[in-house]
Amino acid sequence: MPHSLPKEGRGPSVPSHPTETHDAAGWTEEVLPTRLTAIRESERKVLARLAALGYGEDHCFAVRLAFEEALINAMKHGNRMEESRQVRLAYRVSPECVEIRVADEGAGFRPDCVPDPTVDENLQRPCGRGVMLMRSYMDEVNYSANGTEVHMVKYRANPVRGFPESGRR
Amino acid sequence: MAKGNIIHATDRNGVTVARICAEAILNETQVHAFGQALLALADVPGRRVILNFLGLQHLTSLALGELIRLHKRLAESGGELCLADIDPRIYELFSITRLDRLFRIFDREEEAVAALLAEGRAGA
Repeated sequence: MPHSLPKEGRGPSVPSHPTETHDAAGWTEEVLPTRLTAIRESERKVLARLAALGYGEDHCFAVRLAFEEALINAMKHGNRMEESRQVRLAYRVSPECVEIRVADEGAGFRPDCVPDPTVDENLQRPCGRGVMLMRSYMDEVNYSANGTEVHMVKYRANPVRGFPESGRR
Repeated sequence: MAKGNIIHATDRNGVTVARICAEAILNETQVHAFGQALLALADVPGRRVILNFLGLQHLTSLALGELIRLHKRLAESGGELCLADIDPRIYELFSITRLDRLFRIFDREEEAVAALLAEGRAGA
């Protein structure tokens, strides 16, 4: 992997608010508390970078959705909403693509074992669609071996589902 | 009327038309308010509800889960949930997840109202 989020311990070091660092390769890293409301500010910054580079509404929609789903999964299913656990987020926005990494401190999971939410017996289950939506809207979605970290890429040149004209600029 | 400001519900000759008053249903507060407002719609057994999505531009799988809960609650009491006026981008979420098979979806609110009223007359 070109960039991997460092492992950090739990406990008192968990910040009550997101903390942010930048590296020479263009990645911005943030450590978020396990609190769904903490997602907002990070999302705003990512979308502002897309807008600054002229990404269209289509790509903003896709990235926003996948970003939300990845962080919700990390906090709810990974960290099980325990505020003593942290979520490490990294993102890099270039003129060619958007990359997002999200790592939680949970027990991990096997993405290939998530029940298919589209089959009849699972259609009425209220959960279990986040990973599918991330895969549908991003061009690459790869998990670490233990499933605690996801790396997603959306290329500017590629179209977005539901946007017939997207990716043609 | 449903509780909260995120949904505004009115009665159309026995059919409840509920309009979503939000551009996005993303964060915890919004999803919670949305879920509570939807559950309030199921307070009346057998209620037939048309949920109008006009103006809604973003939602996540959490909000889809709340819709499924309402669908089940209404169906259990002999009611029904229909969806209408869904933005094409949002509709794509229903298509990807195949929830377009679970929900009865109309292009426009008026079509849904006409269909439910006609069915109500036929069943009377």
